[in-house]
Amino acid sequence: MEHHASLLAQWLTHVLGLAQHPWPGFSHGTPLSVLERYDHLLNAALAALLAMAITTLVRKNLTRIPGPLQQVFEGVVGGLKDMINDNIAHHGEKYLPFIGTMALFVFFNNLFGLLPALSPGTSNWNVTLGAALVVFGYYNFHGMKEQGFGKYWLHFAGPIWWLAPLMFPLEILGLLSRILSHSLRLFGNIAGEHVVAGIFFGLMPILLPVPMMFLGLFFGLIQTFVFTMLATIYLSGAVSHEH
Amino acid sequence: MKKFLTTAFLFTLASFAFAQAAPAAGKSLFEGQFVAHLSLAIAAAGCGLAQGKAVVAACEGVARNPQAAGNIRTTMIIGLALIEALVIYVLVAAFAIK
Repeated sequence: MEHHASLLAQWLTHVLGLAQHPWPGFSHGTPLSVLERYDHLLNAALAALLAMAITTLVRKNLTRIPGPLQQVFEGVVGGLKDMINDNIAHHGEKYLPFIGTMALFVFFNNLFGLLPALSPGTSNWNVTLGAALVVFGYYNFHGMKEQGFGKYWLHFAGPIWWLAPLMFPLEILGLLSRILSHSLRLFGNIAGEHVVAGIFFGLMPILLPVPMMFLGLFFGLIQTFVFTMLATIYLSGAVSHEH
Repeated sequence: MKKFLTTAFLFTLASFAFAQAAPAAGKSLFEGQFVAHLSLAIAAAGCGLAQGKAVVAACEGVARNPQAAGNIRTTMIIGLALIEALVIYVLVAAFAIK
């Protein structure tokens, strides 16, 4: 697969005068600098910094009569809180910071596909796999913390004891394949959308990509929602007590 | 449904016939980009049918009970994402083949 570094990475390489050399087994040996090779990490870091900057800005300027930005963020936080309370029965709100962080990170990463000179960090599997692994570790940790180590792993064995040898490996396989499906869904959607927008841009750079970019805005939002929702559902499945 | 499947089958055959017009020497038809494109087309057709069914059911549900629209919408989006994931796997495989 050809590798197209974002314009920002190319420009930074040019300005900083970074050395370009071929990477073994990557992009047919095209000479690339470190920034161009790890373009997705640059964009993901930028998205994370942007998310942090905006949330800090809102946090610093909290007022009783909210301004436009504060109103948007109140809506976001309220929506996330409702979603968590709908899915996790008791004390769901302590998971809000984590879920909200993942949502903002994924959302800003998705939207980077629409900005010129940047590419979405989530259009590389490494970034989405990282996000999915963080979610995986988080819900397993909290499942073990809420239910106890033995009880958490025992509930994978199912309710019938003589079916346990069959159920346990299957459930563990299902648990592990969640990482794959959770990360590939986000990666495939954003990468596919970005590639199609790029092809449209190649056909006619003016006006033609606009509908596709609007679709990209919509898909970015929907995929953020799906990623967050699935994280919440996995978390609720891990921490809920059966009583 | 039967008619649709027959038509789809015929179209698939037609694509084979067109593709066979220019086979590269010493290279099988079932290699490289052709397989990626064909599998993506098949996956997209199945996904379209499945998502159509899901949206029809959701619309009927909302029409009968508009008060439940919020819950139905959320569940539908999750379901659509899960259906869509199957096509996305094929898309990723197609990227990998290319």
